Amino acid sequence: MRGPRSIEIWKMGAVNYLEALKLQEKLTSDRKTHKIKDTLLSLQHPPTFTLGKRRTVHNVLVSEAELKAMGAELHYTERGGDATFHGPRQVILYPIISLRDIGTGARKYVENLESTMIELASLYGVKARAGETGETGVWVGQRKIGAIGVRISSGITSHGLAFNIDPDLNYFKHIVPCGIPDKEVTSLQKEVGLGQKLPSEQVIHEQLVSCFTKIFGYTDVTWRDKTSVSSDGNE
Amino acid sequence: MATSLWATRAASFLRINVPCRGFATGSDVPICYLALYCYEIAAAFIDWFLKDLKYADSHEWVRVEGKSATVGITDHAQDHLGEVVYVELPEEGSKVERGASFGAVESVKATSDVNSPVSGKVVEVNTKLSDSPGLVNTSPYKDGWIIKVELEDDSDLPCLMDPERYTKFCEEEDASH
Repeated sequence: MRGPRSIEIWKMGAVNYLEALKLQEKLTSDRKTHKIKDTLLSLQHPPTFTLGKRRTVHNVLVSEAELKAMGAELHYTERGGDATFHGPRQVILYPIISLRDIGTGARKYVENLESTMIELASLYGVKARAGETGETGVWVGQRKIGAIGVRISSGITSHGLAFNIDPDLNYFKHIVPCGIPDKEVTSLQKEVGLGQKLPSEQVIHEQLVSCFTKIFGYTDVTWRDKTSVSSDGNE
Repeated sequence: MATSLWATRAASFLRINVPCRGFATGSDVPICYLALYCYEIAAAFIDWFLKDLKYADSHEWVRVEGKSATVGITDHAQDHLGEVVYVELPEEGSKVERGASFGAVESVKATSDVNSPVSGKVVEVNTKLSDSPGLVNTSPYKDGWIIKVELEDDSDLPCLMDPERYTKFCEEEDASH
């Protein structure tokens, strides 16, 4: 019989993209060598555009100088997926977990990330669905509400998912989001109606984390306030 | 479970090569006996083809012929990855080390590192994967090979699993889900 599955949740607040990347690299290395258990980072980024391993720069429609002028950064990463935007009022989860320990491959892992966001949306009466083949992510009708981009190294995950609570959707006009043209990006606020008041972001972050731990079968969940953590993992 | 895993490997292999297609010979032999005969020939061929492979616990396979090794990912791996849309290949001439990453595959918005089961020098990469990354899914043991390596020595090989041990390893890993 399998024992309880444990995870530590780091509540991090707003974190610069590069700082979060360096932290993930350290935690991935620590997880590979069993220095830490499964860990989940819950955070937001300042306005940031990112590309995946395939470097699909043609899906960034403005120059890096123009992005800088609008107060955003551009980063190239080793994750899967295409161009995307991260910003305030978008909740990000970066699970650093061992897929081998749970006998799960990339496909099932990503399906579970999709289910996590679909479950959260359903708490607000929003009927979301997983994307069709080639359109990984979470959609409400033909509008994308949640994106996924993952890296798996020796069975350890990094990067993860981004769910739109109420970010400034105008930023998405500067890219072809996820490389899929002619599809709208949406948010939870837009889908429940602009007149409807959502709970605080902190509440929604916690709800998304709870959906994650439920879908992934974690029974031993520890929360840590890490709002002052630096990229080397120290407070 | 072992039978189903073997059957999955056999089905994967059969998608790319069936040695006998004699269903329309017009002979007096009933079709069902001919089909069974062809199946047994194919099964023996697959068994022979796959038995020389060794496996790493990160789900890569290696076929060693003298000082040369061919590396790819297993049918179990491609099934768990989903449809592969991109393969990152190393440079020819670069060194690979047993257990270390030499490239990656992307599927369902996830990049997964591919590790080398052996140490040596990359002498050839499968450039067909640049235009047809899906070969990793449809033909993981043949047309979906990823790199060929000139071995440093053969001291890595005893650390790798034979087919029976790898089958059991996959069963145990899937059961932990």
